[in-house]
Amino acid sequence: MSDYLSKAAAFAQNAAKLSKKVSEGIVENAREFGLEATSSGHYFDTSEEKMRDIKRQLDSRHDREKMDGLKRLIANVASQNLEIRKLVYIYLLRYAEQEPDLALLSINTFQKDLTDQNQLIRAMALRVMSGIRVPVISPIVLLAIKKCVTDLSAYVRKIAAHAIPKCYSLDPTQKDALVDIITTLLKDNSSFTIGSVIMAFNEVCPHRFDLIHPHFRKLCRMLIDADEWGQIAIMGLLLRYARTQFLNPNPNGPRASKKKKSKAFYSDDENSDKTDDSLENSFILDPDHELLLRSCLPLLQSRNSAVVLSVAKIFYHLAPIEEAYKLSKPLVRLLHSHREIQYVVLANIATMATQRPYLFEPHLQQFFVRSTDSVFIRNLKLEIMTLIATENNITILLRELQEYVKSPNKEFATSAIQAIGRCAIGMPDMAESCLNGLMKLLWSKNDAVVAESVVVIKRLLQLRPQDNADLIIQLTKALDQITVPMARASIFWLVGQYAQNLEKIAPDVLRNSAKRFINEDDIVKLQIINLGAKLYSLNPTNQVLNLLFQYVLNLARYDLNYDIRDRARLLRGLILINEQKEITSENEEIENAQSSDSVKSSVLKENLKQILLCEKEAPSEESPSAGRDRFTIGSMALVLNHSIPGYEPLPDWPTEKPDVSARNNLDETYSRSQAVKGFGSDSFGGYAPPSIYDKPLITNKRKEVYDLDHFYDSENSSDDNIHETSENEDEEDEEDEDEEISEEEDDDENESSEEEEESSEEETSEEETSEEEEGDDDDEQELLLEETRGKGKVREAPKSR
Amino acid sequence: MIDSLFVLNTTRKIIIEKHWRGLINRQVVDYFNDQVSRQSSPEDLPPVISTPKYQLVHIYRSSLTFLSPVSSEVDILLVIEFLHRIVDILAEYFGEVSETSIRDNFDVVYQLLEEMMDYGYPLTTEPNALKEMIVLPNIINKVISQVAGVTSVTHHIPNGSTISSIPWRKSGVKYTNNEIYFDIIEEIDAIVDSNGAIVSSETHGIIQANCRLSGMPDLTLNFVNPRVLDDCSFHPCVRYNKFETERVLSFVPPDGPFKLMSYRVNLPHHQSLPVYVKPQIHIGNNGGKFDISINIRNTEGKPIENGLLIFPLAKSVSNVNATCNLGSYIFDPVTKSIRWDLGKIEPKDKVPLLSGNFSSSEQTPESGHTITLDFSINMYAISGLRVDSLKIFNESYKPYKGVRSLTKAGKFQIRT
Repeated sequence: MSDYLSKAAAFAQNAAKLSKKVSEGIVENAREFGLEATSSGHYFDTSEEKMRDIKRQLDSRHDREKMDGLKRLIANVASQNLEIRKLVYIYLLRYAEQEPDLALLSINTFQKDLTDQNQLIRAMALRVMSGIRVPVISPIVLLAIKKCVTDLSAYVRKIAAHAIPKCYSLDPTQKDALVDIITTLLKDNSSFTIGSVIMAFNEVCPHRFDLIHPHFRKLCRMLIDADEWGQIAIMGLLLRYARTQFLNPNPNGPRASKKKKSKAFYSDDENSDKTDDSLENSFILDPDHELLLRSCLPLLQSRNSAVVLSVAKIFYHLAPIEEAYKLSKPLVRLLHSHREIQYVVLANIATMATQRPYLFEPHLQQFFVRSTDSVFIRNLKLEIMTLIATENNITILLRELQEYVKSPNKEFATSAIQAIGRCAIGMPDMAESCLNGLMKLLWSKNDAVVAESVVVIKRLLQLRPQDNADLIIQLTKALDQITVPMARASIFWLVGQYAQNLEKIAPDVLRNSAKRFINEDDIVKLQIINLGAKLYSLNPTNQVLNLLFQYVLNLARYDLNYDIRDRARLLRGLILINEQKEITSENEEIENAQSSDSVKSSVLKENLKQILLCEKEAPSEESPSAGRDRFTIGSMALVLNHSIPGYEPLPDWPTEKPDVSARNNLDETYSRSQAVKGFGSDSFGGYAPPSIYDKPLITNKRKEVYDLDHFYDSENSSDDNIHETSENEDEEDEEDEDEEISEEEDDDENESSEEEEESSEEETSEEETSEEEEGDDDDEQELLLEETRGKGKVREAPKSR
Repeated sequence: MIDSLFVLNTTRKIIIEKHWRGLINRQVVDYFNDQVSRQSSPEDLPPVISTPKYQLVHIYRSSLTFLSPVSSEVDILLVIEFLHRIVDILAEYFGEVSETSIRDNFDVVYQLLEEMMDYGYPLTTEPNALKEMIVLPNIINKVISQVAGVTSVTHHIPNGSTISSIPWRKSGVKYTNNEIYFDIIEEIDAIVDSNGAIVSSETHGIIQANCRLSGMPDLTLNFVNPRVLDDCSFHPCVRYNKFETERVLSFVPPDGPFKLMSYRVNLPHHQSLPVYVKPQIHIGNNGGKFDISINIRNTEGKPIENGLLIFPLAKSVSNVNATCNLGSYIFDPVTKSIRWDLGKIEPKDKVPLLSGNFSSSEQTPESGHTITLDFSINMYAISGLRVDSLKIFNESYKPYKGVRSLTKAGKFQIRT
């Protein structure tokens, strides 16, 4: 008990400090404003007095008084200043885990608050209560959530949805009850709550697609009305859902068709279009699948980069191949954003470009590197540029890359050279011009550039062993200027490897190198020895070569580096045995003395060429983001390029078409008859009764012209089968719509004359036709009751007709 | 989901620490600092780094680091976007985001963080909705000064019925003077070759609005030439479909300043830039000569303002001697760059010229640095975008309307 008391005291003290701080702050602020004590005395005296009173109560030895003090702190002060109340809540949440017993004391207050008149207080009480991470209270929290799920206020319901994952993490055994609550919430038709409900779904029961079936179409329609963060959650769910419920729209694989179709996807002649095309487009999308894609499309225009990337994810993973190009432009737009966002978007673009480079090919110039780009952005841009290179843009690209090579930043210059190399490997046709570009760099003043370009050239020449003689000759000419060891070593290796094609040059190279042998770097020395051995093996009878090689070996024998001595010994062993045998055969003295050694040596000799000159495979150039395409677009695992906890790969497409009937069990209530309480329709809350969330909107006859559903419906008749039950209504709607359009036109005519006068270039403080506005006022007010955001769906309740 | 948030100051000490899903040990910050110190500049650290237990996502803005450890898979951009949103909101509340402004208002910061995120899920992120719940610090002061002498505090507590039904707009807004301003701000990103050829050029525009209108106005904004708009993105208040079909912006605006839309300008491929810079640089023995001239073209007679040219030189450069016929220049020996402050350039003025030489301790100083130019042109939009009319529905008053345009340099770079 005493322990408990001390804890209570600590809590109370902290609360007192907090309250003191706040009250002091207020007084201080007041002083700053030069308020004299005389003028403000009354107010501040009472305030401080009150604070002191609370402090006394908090310091008291009796629990009762303490609770009273706390309650007064929360309740009494809150009635004046919500801020203090929130601060107390923040304090509670932060320390509840350490002080579970104390936190429990507050539960009663929250339970009382749950019945408060004010929806904000109800919501806050639920939030704080569910946020107290003490497992004992999970049943109480569950009860509270159950209660709030049916709350009249959408805000409270949203908070209830947020509380579900908290309750789940507190006590996973409550899962069944929570799933029931989610099922109830899924029926909610408020776009305000839906995002949070899906977040809860994704965390508690991400694979219960059976719960989603009846709401799938509703989710698609509500997507545009949900808040930005909700949209991301919903699209995440829809992606997983679609991968299990629809068939692969690209049965021939993602690379099957590269051409873009300019034809509108949603146009009415879609079917005829499809049949016209060859086999590859014979696949017909499920109408629901199509609905999903269509609902996501406008979100590409969102200001939130995460939403845009989510849409890109849907289009990349779900859309028919001809549709996917729609995602490229908005993604490229995101490159004009904060650098962190740029980084993520570029990583995703790079991944998409490995599979479908043509998506980003038209935007090559957007990936040009700026001198201010961070290292990680620069590297990704270089990579994307090489991935999307084609015959058409390679000249521009190469010119650009060569600009980068001039950069004073050596790291950047070398990575640009590597990028040129990757281009050449990717496009054998262009290898020639890449090589020519690289050869020019050999005369650069920058050592690093020279070294890197020789290394890249070597790699390229290895790929085409047939006709590289000319280039190798050029390289050997540059030998005198090149000082970087790696580059020199690469050239010697090339000469040795392809010596057969360089009969005249190769021995001379060896001669020159032998002269400078002792001054060379270790790796170069090794390659010179190799070069000698290779030349000798090709032409064992040449005395000059023989002597040259012997000379090099002798130099190497006394080298400081044991690797070089070892190599020399090895090669000498290989060659010398042959030497002896040759000498014997030349002198024709001991013909019969074919010892077992020389048998072995003859075996070695026969294979000498093969030992030294076998085809070496060119090292393959891996792009740095290889392997990223294992991951879903937009995921964190993709950016990190390794799997992380919680990452789930996308499910494979089903091989057989799953049953669609589950989705037909529609809540038509949503799509047609009931007023949907989206943001838009609520936007006129000022005119409607406060409880607007919960009543179907009272609408009059005219229909909104630019309603989203309507817009799509009128444009795409294929959608109709979904709403068979509501066809009659549709017709009525259309009539209504006509009426309205004509009226609108009238309005426009009236206004048009005025509009022309409005020169709005600068300050347009002009007369906006007061007469006309007044005249139309009544009409407009009425019209505007429904003329809400394009997103909002003010639907007529059939009963009200 | 987002587990926690640490705000680190310039010396990378924690100034704000907020946990949404239980406590996370502060050691993650040490690990992070370790990684940062390995980079040459804090901007070179990739935004996501992996540790055995958490993935550390961070953004770096206003020399503060906002670091978020994330324990499991999440849409990475959601985290980054949310962190940026936090900074935006803080900027809106305190005017500027700095260590002092955060320390001075730490209680407001904690309230905001509490309100913006719930158990790792974003909750309320609209500035208008937040301001309804958490009062701006300066407003508190104002209220107190106003209420002083009055018997009881009439502090505004949002009650249930006034909570706005559209998240981005406060309800019950009242102004004595109803006014709305639009700023069309266009930024030119360009890379120009040393011989004046445009390598890439792109113009991005935003329409920034400041709305001070009472009630629930419904606005329709028409453009004279909407065709120049390409690939737009909108504030959530804009009705997408209305724009798709009629190319007009129809919206119920939030209260106060907000970004209405951003767009890319659909310019003819090689439309001439307003300014051309011609650098001529000769590298000689232990130094070199340079000549930089600036030509104005295509600004409809408007002057260039706030011109500032930064010309980096090789690290080995020790001394610079130059003359310029406009503005003034400084050679910064630390960053080894010339900073030429041009001020205002009238198109009729003679061509601004900076010429001189530099000496270097190296035989052949490295070249190939990129010149950056900063400028702005008032009352001029390079796209030619013009507002035609603004109609207001749903409210009967006649607001004061204003439109301004501004063109400025984004990343305007000239290769040498």
